[in-house]
Amino acid sequence: MTEKFLEIKDLKKSYGVGEARQDVLRGMDFTVKKGEFCVLLGPSGSGKSTLLNIIGGIDTPDSGYVSINQDILEDMNEKQLTMYRRKHLGYVFQMYNLIPNLNVKENIEVGAYLSDNPLDVEEVLTTLGLQDHKYKYPNQLSGGQQQRVSIGRAVVKNPDILLCDEPTGALDYKTSKEILGLIEDCNKKYGSTVIMVTHNEAIKHMADHVIKLRDGVVRHNDHNDNKIDASELEW
Amino acid sequence: MKNPLIKRVPRELKSDWHKYIVIIFFMILMIGVISGMYVGHDSMLSAIYSGQKDLNLEDGNFELTSKATADLLDDLSDQSTKVDIYEHFYRNESEDVDFDGEEDATIRIYQSDSTIDQASFLEGRAPEKDTEIAIDRMHANNQKINIGDTIKVGDTEFEVVGLLSYVNYLTLHESNTDLMFDSFGFDVAMVTPSAFDDLTSRIHYNYAFTYDKTPEDEIEEADFSDIFREDLIELSYANGNPLQNYVPEYLNQASNFAPSDIDGDTTSSSILCYILIGVIAFIFAITISNTIEKESTVIGTLRASGYSKRELIVHYMSMPIIVTIIGAILGNILGYTAFRRIALNLYYNSYSLPSCDLVWSNTALIKTTIIPLFLMFFINLFIIIKRLQLSPLRFLRNDLTKVRREKARRLPKWSFLARFRLRILFQNLPNYLVLIFGVVFIELMLCFAFGLPDSLNYYSKTASSMMFADYQYVLMNPKDAMGNEITTSEDTAEKFSSKKLMYPKDLNATFEGYGSGEDEEVTVYGIEENSDYIALPETLDADEVYISSAFSNKFDLEEGDTIKLHEEYEDQEYKFTVAGIIEYDGGIAVFLGNDNFNDIFDRDADSFNGYFSQHEITDIDEQNIATTITAEDITKVTTQLQHSMGDMFVVFKFVLIALSAALIYLLAKIIIERNEKSISMVKILGFKNREIASLYILSTAIVIILFTVIGFLIGYQLMTWIFKMFILQMDGYFAYYMSFQSMLLSMLYLLIGYVFVSIIDFIRIKRIPMDVALKNID
Repeated sequence: MTEKFLEIKDLKKSYGVGEARQDVLRGMDFTVKKGEFCVLLGPSGSGKSTLLNIIGGIDTPDSGYVSINQDILEDMNEKQLTMYRRKHLGYVFQMYNLIPNLNVKENIEVGAYLSDNPLDVEEVLTTLGLQDHKYKYPNQLSGGQQQRVSIGRAVVKNPDILLCDEPTGALDYKTSKEILGLIEDCNKKYGSTVIMVTHNEAIKHMADHVIKLRDGVVRHNDHNDNKIDASELEW
Repeated sequence: MKNPLIKRVPRELKSDWHKYIVIIFFMILMIGVISGMYVGHDSMLSAIYSGQKDLNLEDGNFELTSKATADLLDDLSDQSTKVDIYEHFYRNESEDVDFDGEEDATIRIYQSDSTIDQASFLEGRAPEKDTEIAIDRMHANNQKINIGDTIKVGDTEFEVVGLLSYVNYLTLHESNTDLMFDSFGFDVAMVTPSAFDDLTSRIHYNYAFTYDKTPEDEIEEADFSDIFREDLIELSYANGNPLQNYVPEYLNQASNFAPSDIDGDTTSSSILCYILIGVIAFIFAITISNTIEKESTVIGTLRASGYSKRELIVHYMSMPIIVTIIGAILGNILGYTAFRRIALNLYYNSYSLPSCDLVWSNTALIKTTIIPLFLMFFINLFIIIKRLQLSPLRFLRNDLTKVRREKARRLPKWSFLARFRLRILFQNLPNYLVLIFGVVFIELMLCFAFGLPDSLNYYSKTASSMMFADYQYVLMNPKDAMGNEITTSEDTAEKFSSKKLMYPKDLNATFEGYGSGEDEEVTVYGIEENSDYIALPETLDADEVYISSAFSNKFDLEEGDTIKLHEEYEDQEYKFTVAGIIEYDGGIAVFLGNDNFNDIFDRDADSFNGYFSQHEITDIDEQNIATTITAEDITKVTTQLQHSMGDMFVVFKFVLIALSAALIYLLAKIIIERNEKSISMVKILGFKNREIASLYILSTAIVIILFTVIGFLIGYQLMTWIFKMFILQMDGYFAYYMSFQSMLLSMLYLLIGYVFVSIIDFIRIKRIPMDVALKNID
């Protein structure tokens, strides 16, 4: 794995002014290697989603920087940021945010359209077990199936980094494990660097790299030499 | 790879088809009507202008007392203005349509072998036998004469075999001095030369002429005409065959009235179309704005995934643009077919026009397609850009309000339901603003639909009371052929002088594009002292005049203002000060003392050229009378307009009811859709459908009722203004009038439309499922 694919340097972010001011990130430093499965772990309010949004180029820090492959996001203008997201990132959210009047295949094509070298949509559908549902509309699918589609939409771009914000937060245990398995497969099969935000401690066991956050700072930054498959996770 | 988002457009169209059907229907109707109007307008003008060449329109005509000798004609042809002269004799006969022995119209008969001023046949053919006749189509239509019918001309019966339009009689002006054409009481016809010879009435030795060298413009044409007229008077007099009548083509009302009227500005109707397209654009903008709100998290995800703002703007813009293109294409197809026919029928119902072929209209393309697309594009672009301005994160968090209200608006201590309703009003303020705008727009159109026929009716009814004299006789000359002054034994007769001058329409004083037409014709009256008809004070200075109320109202002239009048074809200007206004809405007129009149216009003292009278004058030879003006003459124009447009107004009113219902339907639908979640939530809380309806429908109803009244008042004021601008483009004046009954009806029509919509709304509320409020909570 390449050193320092993603670098977070002294990242600070606060919201509000005066007495209402709240420091969400209070100087955060870490690096992530290319192809790593990295989990950002922490309770509510620890700043993990804010951190993910800054890495994703949809939020900006007050100070510090994020660099990816030596490119510093803070130096980019809005257009460049859009291009950065378009070419390098895949996003999976807790809510699936699918387009209601496009079917499963078309929702995945929405991601493929953005990429210069997308994966084969049919192959992604097969990998995600969605072949039988590809002509269904989102409202005809279960929550787990909808999340598979949203993963498909993100991975079909063949992104350098897959950002997942609590992807199992709205799912039951069994489905959550299936979804984690799929993200794991994508990480292995397509070599995308995965950064996953979660508050579920159990998920750290499937990660290469675990960063624990609390009150806007990194409390632990560990590499996991004994990671297990998603299917073996218990909580 | 094509952007997969484009696949949403047909699905959106399909899923919300009833909304889009209404919008597309609207557009097709408006674009179709405007396109039809312009295509009809351009086709008709092209037919008229090509007809002038193909059917050999004269450059003028003159009538001699008797048949001209070949030498006289040769001499006339070879003067300084070289002309070709054609025999164009006619007879004026009486026309009896129903064989009751009474004259129904005067029919002017020409021969079928004429090579000048030919006719275009709209139905049937030219007469071939001596028992056949072809008559004017417009007159046939008015008198309900069809091909195959028999009419009596003088003492002879003829079978009507053709309905025609003479190139020099596009309007049926019997005499060029007639105030208005009369397609009921006057007809032009064609018979074979031998049938012409068999008729018994006097032959009018009329000759048409064309210039050898085509004049470059109207000024040169006027010069040619003046020179030729002088030669004509001189030579015909020397030849013992005095001139009876002379009309250069450019002054011939019968051939110029219709084209100049058709060519008039059509801006006002286009403006109505643009307002409607603007309303639709806002409906779209609001719908899209609501969709953006609804799809906020999806938009956030797409933006986070790398979709650019531009791509999303293009995506959300595609629907209104596609719908406008569909509306424009179908509207134009209808415009070039059905609506063109309707527009042409309007012209055909007014004038004796030739048949016409379809022509491509660039104006129609610009006004019906380019401008609506432009409007739709920019209004939506503005709103969508504004809506998509927020960061992806804000969209993901569904946080779309730009300004956060510090505190909730405090409401008065009303009942809970009343306060709830008020909250709904505040929450949906932008939607209600568009609704209010729509209501005002509909009321404006209803004021048009009711007000125009009302104004025509009112004018017809009050015309006789507008006349300051029941009869006005304008004499050819104050002295007869023997040199004696023309007198009458009629007790109520009173001498007056009159002449036509022109009043320049001031471009700067009026809205650009309006009032920019030709100069206004003004009748200047010289009134006797102590007149029984017009009361002028004796103390008027030489440059002081009174003007008619019509003149004052049309051009906003007041006492003390200065007016400059000029001769139409001479470089002579007269300056007057308005000393007062005389209540007379029948015409644009200026009044001054007769002595002053004669002085200013260089006429002999005591000179006059007409009589006012309360009764018909029967003891003046008709040869000496140039024009007789009665109330009927003034109402001819309104009678004709009522005849040609009456049916259209009825249709128009019903279209407007449908339109108002459709517009309210669209806007009310948006309001209910936007509140789907809240409605669903109050259902979960246990509110009954009836209670929910009272909350959501009653709020809309209150807004509609209130703004129907306010909208009417605004619409009425706007219409009065638009009407005035419209009248400024035309000659003459009549004021906008709306009866009380029409005022009530114009409001009632809109409310009736709303009743239907509220029933649909009630059904819509009933159908909203309770799980809407529970879905997609993120």
